Amino acid sequence: MTVIDGSASPTPAPAPAAGEALLEIRNLKTYFPIRAGLLRRVIGHVKAVDDVSFEIRRGEIFGLVGESGCGKTTLGRTILRLEPPTAGSIVFEGQDVLAAKGRDLKRLRRRMQVIFQDPMSSLNPRMPVSDLIAEGLLAQADDENGWGKRAIRDERVGDSLEAVKLRRDYARRYPHEFSGGQRQRIGIARALALAPEFIFADEPVSALDVSIQSQVLNLLIELRDRFDLTYLFVAHNLSVVRYIGDRLGVMYLGKLAEIGDVDDVYDNPQHPYTVSLMSAVPDPDPTVRKRRIILTGDVPSPANPPSGCRFHTRCWLRERLDNPEECETEIPEFREIRPGHRVACHFSKEVTPDTIAAASRSGIAPV
Amino acid sequence: MSNTPARPGSSSTPGAEAPILKVRDLRTYFHTLDGVVKAVDGVDFEIPRGGRLAIVGESGCGKSVTSLTIMRLLDVPPAEIASGEIIFDGRDILTLSREEMHKIRGGEIAMIFQEPMTSLNPVLTIGDQLTEAITLHREVTRKEATDLAVDALREVGISSPERRIKQYPHEFSGGMRQRVMIAMALACQPKLLIADEPTTALDVTIQRQILELIEEIQARTGTALLLITHDLGVVAETVEQVAVMYGGRIVESGTVEEVLLHPRHPYTRGLLHSIPSRGTKGQPLAVIKGVVPNPFRMPPGCKFQPRCPYAFERCGEEPDLIEIRGSRASRCWLEDPAYASRLAGYLTEPGAAGSMVSAAPSGASAPTPSAEATDPAASLVPTPPVHPQQELA
Repeated sequence: MTVIDGSASPTPAPAPAAGEALLEIRNLKTYFPIRAGLLRRVIGHVKAVDDVSFEIRRGEIFGLVGESGCGKTTLGRTILRLEPPTAGSIVFEGQDVLAAKGRDLKRLRRRMQVIFQDPMSSLNPRMPVSDLIAEGLLAQADDENGWGKRAIRDERVGDSLEAVKLRRDYARRYPHEFSGGQRQRIGIARALALAPEFIFADEPVSALDVSIQSQVLNLLIELRDRFDLTYLFVAHNLSVVRYIGDRLGVMYLGKLAEIGDVDDVYDNPQHPYTVSLMSAVPDPDPTVRKRRIILTGDVPSPANPPSGCRFHTRCWLRERLDNPEECETEIPEFREIRPGHRVACHFSKEVTPDTIAAASRSGIAPV
Repeated sequence: MSNTPARPGSSSTPGAEAPILKVRDLRTYFHTLDGVVKAVDGVDFEIPRGGRLAIVGESGCGKSVTSLTIMRLLDVPPAEIASGEIIFDGRDILTLSREEMHKIRGGEIAMIFQEPMTSLNPVLTIGDQLTEAITLHREVTRKEATDLAVDALREVGISSPERRIKQYPHEFSGGMRQRVMIAMALACQPKLLIADEPTTALDVTIQRQILELIEEIQARTGTALLLITHDLGVVAETVEQVAVMYGGRIVESGTVEEVLLHPRHPYTRGLLHSIPSRGTKGQPLAVIKGVVPNPFRMPPGCKFQPRCPYAFERCGEEPDLIEIRGSRASRCWLEDPAYASRLAGYLTEPGAAGSMVSAAPSGASAPTPSAEATDPAASLVPTPPVHPQQELA
C-alpha cells in the first residue's frame, strides 16, 4: 500500500491543517450556448452554473444536492476543467486552476480525480481492468513517478484494487465479469491509482442497490481517512449526503440556495427550497409523518430562468408573504445568517416552524 | 405459530369479500441458452378490493417479472409460466384467451411504468393516445372520448387540458408525462392499478407530487394498488401491506408497520439497517455481505443463506413462508417452532426491532400496541424508546 501514498509527490509540503480551504470557487459561471437556424447562431445560453461561490475544505466531504438540471454535475465538471467556464475563478491550494496550462494543468489533473455514476458506461467493456486503471498512470507517467515502467504500473494497479477491497488478480478480468458494486469499486480504484488529493464523486451510489450502496459508502469514507482525500460528493439522495457529508450545498437552477454544516442545514433549513426538498423525502419509518410542503409545478428552464430569486415561481413562502416584489426583481444576496451557514433568500427570517406548519399539510389526519 | 405456508396480504377476517387479486404458487421461468432462470419461483399473495400492497426488493429479485406476468406481457417462449394461478376478480388470468386478456389489460387492470417517455408514443399527440385507450375499452363516440380524455388530464392536475391534449410527449416534463400515464391508466376506471417503480426516474419534489396524486386518486376511486418498488421510504408512505422479495420468492410479508418496524427475516433486517438515513454519522453503515445470487446458480436451500449472518445447519434446506400471525409471515427456519430458543435470541439481539429504534412512535401513533402484546414472539422484542413524533423543523 506504500506505493499509493503520495508517491507522485516525493517531497510533500508539511501537512496543512484540516479545515483550511483546499478549493476556492469564486463567482463561477458556466453557460452553454443555444444555437439555432441555418448559421447556428447563438440565440441564448443555458446558465447551468450561474455565479456560484463557495469553498471546499481540506479533508472534508462536501455534499452537493439538487434536482436534475440544477447544475450540480456541471459545477463539478467545471472545477475539474472538463467544461470550460464562462467566468469566475477556481483556486486549488493557491494555484489558479483556470489559468493552468501545459505541464501545470497535467499535474493538476492528476491531483483532481472523478468517480462517475454509472460504472457500466464509464468502463470500456473491451479493456481488462489492468488497462482501465493503468490508462491514467500512463498518461501521467514521468521520470519522477516511474509510471512508464510496466512493473511499477502493475504494482500500482494491484495496490489500488486492494485498496477498494478487490483481489489483485481481478486485474486480468473484463468489466462484464463484475457486479454493479464491484464495477463501482473499479471506478474508484481508477481514480485512486493516481494518488489524488481531491475527488469529484458524481452520484457514485445512485445506480446501486441499497445493500450494495452501504458497502460503497463505507469504502469511500475509509479511503478518505486513509489517503487524506477531500470529496465533492454530488447526489440527489438527501439521506446519503446527510450520512456521509460534513458540509452541504443545496443548488437550484444554477445557483447555490443554501450552504452550511450538514446537520445544521438538515435540522434547521433556512431557504424555502431546502425546506420543501427535505420535506419531500419519503421516510422508511411508517410512524414518521412528516409535514409536507408540496411544490407546485416543475423546475423552470435554465435557459430562461425566472428573474430575481430563481425559486420565486414555486416558492411557498413568497405566497404566504403576499408576493413581495423583491423576490421577482432582486437577486437575493448569499448572506451569512450564522457562522458558516449562508442562505440566498430575502426573507429567510420568515422561515420559522410557524410558517412551515402553515404552508404544509400533514400526510395523515393529526393525531 | 403454525408451520403452514402463509399467504401475504390475506385478510385476517375470513369470509370477507373475495380479494380483487389472488396469486397462488406463481412460477415464471425464462429459458435461455445458458440455462433456466427461475425469476419468480413460488409466489403467493392477494390484494383486497381497494387495498394497497407493495412488493419490494432489489434488482433481480423478481418483482417486476411478477407484475409483467400478471399483465401477461411476457413473451412465451422464452418465458414459461411453469405453475400457478392468478385469480383476478374471480377469473384465472392465465387461462384467458388473447381477446379476453386485451379487454382486461388497460381496462380492468392498468399499469404505469418507471420511464414515462418510453411508454408514450412520441409521434402521436397526448390526446390521440388517451382517446385510443378510452375507445378501446369503453363504448363511447370520438367526441365523448375526447371529453373524457380532457377530464382525465384535469383530474391528474394538468392545467389547461384542452390545449395540452393537442401536444406531443416531448412537450411535457418527466413529472407531467407520468401524470399523463396515470390519467391514461385511470381513464377506464380500472379495478387494479399496477405501478412499477412509478417515481424512480423522477426528482424528489416531483416524486412527492406523484405519490400524493396516486394516493388521492386511489382514495377517491377505490381502485386497488399493486406497487412495485425498491424504495422502502415510498413503501412506508404509500401502502398498507408489504411483501419483501429475494431470489424469486417472498421472504417476508405483513403490514407496513410490522415489517418496517419489526422486521423478522434476516434479509429485511439487513436491508433496513443499511439505509443511510438510519446510520449514525462516524460509524460504518451496516452492510449485507456479498452480492445477490447469480440467477443461473441459485444456492440450494434458503436463497439468502450465503449472505445471512444467522444461518445455521437447517438453512441448507428451503424453508416455507411460515405464518407468524395474520398476514405476517417470514420464510426463515428461525420461525419454525423447533427453533424457538434460537428465534428468541435473534429477536432480543440489539437492534432487533429493525433500524427504526431511533424513531419509535409516541403513544398516539403507535402501530397497534395491543396486537403486539398478544403476539407471544413480539413480547420478546425490546420496547423501543419513546420519542416525540417526528416532524419537519
